[in-house]
Amino acid sequence: MKKIILLLVIATMAFGFTYDNKVITVKGSDTMVILAQRWAEKYMESHPGITIQVTGGGSGIGLAALINGSTDIANASRPMKPSEREKLKQRYNSLGVEVKTAKDGLSVYLNEKNSVKELSIQQIKDIYTGKITNWKDVGGKDAKIIVYGRENSSGTYVYFKDNVLGGQDFTSTMQSMPGTSAVVNAIVKDANSIGFGGAAYAKGIKFAAVKKDATSKAYIPTEENIKSGNYPITRYLYLYLKTRPSGEMKDYIDWILSAEGQSIVTKVGYFPVR
Amino acid sequence: MKKFVLLFVLSLVLVARISAQEDTTKTTAEDLKAKIDELKGQVEGLNESYLETKATVDALKKIKLSGYIQAQFQSAELDGISSFSGGNFAAGLHNRFTIRRGRLKVAYDNDITNYVLQIDATEKGLGLKDAYVSFKEPWLKSFGLKAGVFDRPFGFEISYSSSSREAPERSRMYQTLFPGERDLGVSFEYAPYVPYEDFLGYFNFRGGFFAGNGVSVEVDNQKDFIGRLGFSLPFYEENLAIDGGVSMYVGGVKLAAGKSIFTVNNPTLASADTKTTYADRNYLGLDMQVYYALPLLGNFTLRGEYISGKQPGGSASSSSSPTALQTGDLYLRNFSGYYLNYVQNLGDKNQLVVKYDVYDPNTDVEGDQIGALAAAKLGAGDIKYSTLGIGLVHYWDDNIKFVFYYDSVSNETSSKLAALNSDLRDNVFTFRIQYKF
Repeated sequence: MKKIILLLVIATMAFGFTYDNKVITVKGSDTMVILAQRWAEKYMESHPGITIQVTGGGSGIGLAALINGSTDIANASRPMKPSEREKLKQRYNSLGVEVKTAKDGLSVYLNEKNSVKELSIQQIKDIYTGKITNWKDVGGKDAKIIVYGRENSSGTYVYFKDNVLGGQDFTSTMQSMPGTSAVVNAIVKDANSIGFGGAAYAKGIKFAAVKKDATSKAYIPTEENIKSGNYPITRYLYLYLKTRPSGEMKDYIDWILSAEGQSIVTKVGYFPVR
Repeated sequence: MKKFVLLFVLSLVLVARISAQEDTTKTTAEDLKAKIDELKGQVEGLNESYLETKATVDALKKIKLSGYIQAQFQSAELDGISSFSGGNFAAGLHNRFTIRRGRLKVAYDNDITNYVLQIDATEKGLGLKDAYVSFKEPWLKSFGLKAGVFDRPFGFEISYSSSSREAPERSRMYQTLFPGERDLGVSFEYAPYVPYEDFLGYFNFRGGFFAGNGVSVEVDNQKDFIGRLGFSLPFYEENLAIDGGVSMYVGGVKLAAGKSIFTVNNPTLASADTKTTYADRNYLGLDMQVYYALPLLGNFTLRGEYISGKQPGGSASSSSSPTALQTGDLYLRNFSGYYLNYVQNLGDKNQLVVKYDVYDPNTDVEGDQIGALAAAKLGAGDIKYSTLGIGLVHYWDDNIKFVFYYDSVSNETSSKLAALNSDLRDNVFTFRIQYKF
């Protein structure tokens, strides 16, 4: 028995600990990729010994990378799914550490020429599930609605499906775009289109004012409306880690939540949590 | 006059050049337009091709192939020992190479409907592990049905994949009560599809009716009920998770004509029943798993399960659940068992594992009572065992892990049983390499 224990100890020492705190890898949400890059750039300016590598791909991709150990931080624009938590528990004995870093008004984009100004949650749901296919049914001109959305690896896709469509499937006519920028670009070019994504990406398009139901007041995703809870589709933007952070990782997370880190949230176009 | 002629000629040349330039400009603009049209056509063609490819890729993404191979070397204390650390050693052997598991799983995941087929290929042959269909209702996406061969919905350790489990094998209790882990039947599942942090989302239920023989053909008309009501409580701020559940097995084992059910709960005399058609097979189980991070040491999990109930074995020397039609007498015992499993992360790559399990197949008798009187019908199948396992798991990369593990097995002794009058030398060391994809 003693020999066996000795063997185990030697094996542990031989394999050693390989975690490297000097390079922090960040992967995940496309909604958050600009924000994460700004954080990384600013932090590296004042911490020259730290390298922070940021890539996108979608929340699902980031969380999968966190589970298989190929990233230190996963950015996600939706909460972690129970199945992802189970995988993390199995491999790391951890529920994962969730850090709410910013708030976003999940925005509904329209072309600037579109005469429609506001939509209820039910109307948005009907458009995205294929029940409403013409703008005249929501107060616009007689024209077919061109529906743009995201791919299913996107956290925005999942959040929208769960919280706006009530879990129902997207219409089969929806054109899935690889990123929020691509959605915005498509809407800029197409007067009859509709899309959704983070508030920070709204360049050259207009927001649809959103109301909870047909009788309530419609709001656009401004900081005031999001903070007050009036805008009905708000979400958090998360960082997920395998375990409780320590060392350089903890310093970085603390900095993100500091006044300096949160000021970058505002500059990029999202809303601070502190 | 000469000047006039010269001016005229120059003017003609100039006009000719301007005209030529205009022609060239015109030609260039037309060329450009043609090239843009050509490029536009190519982009549209590529876009169509992309959409076709995407449709094909989306369809192929539904087919999921996964699997793992566990190759291992084991060394036992003595030749030919009986073991729950991957099966008995052959006569004359105290060490061996084996492919413990060679799994290949094919799944077709169509969101709310699923097809799953899993086989196990080792040097011992080819075996079926999973073959089932499952689907969820499309409205609430909370209720599901599964039919075929799949994991029995009981406790934690059955459904915890062998590829993820840190200790090489399940506890003796589970291997005895649920050989092969799977069974043939149909189960109902309720896993609420609710918004994040909704209270209802912390609970789930799985339960159904099964043949009761493991992965074998049906042998009787009675179906066994197996079910588990589970919870999963996340405490995000504390990085703490507490999961658990209550499980129940209500079933029976068919008695062969002319045979007896011996209730072996008395050290002097076993009562015999020849009238009851089915011997009770009833279990009640409790399980809990705690996940937390210790300061400095990092994340750990502590898992525990307790099961007790009635177990009909096929002989005085075995309390294992039958996997085929019984032709002899049945031995009905009150049993209990438990295990505790501690797994401590050592950085991202290593885990220390300590596991202690106890299985008492007959809680009504002990020690020298076993084997003392023939009328009591007690034997090796009534001996209590405990196993202390300690090991190290190293994750080489996403696919490969190494497991070093030592099982120290202790048994209850009885001076009335020649083979079990002292602690058996049946400890086993395992070194395993696993590749998973």
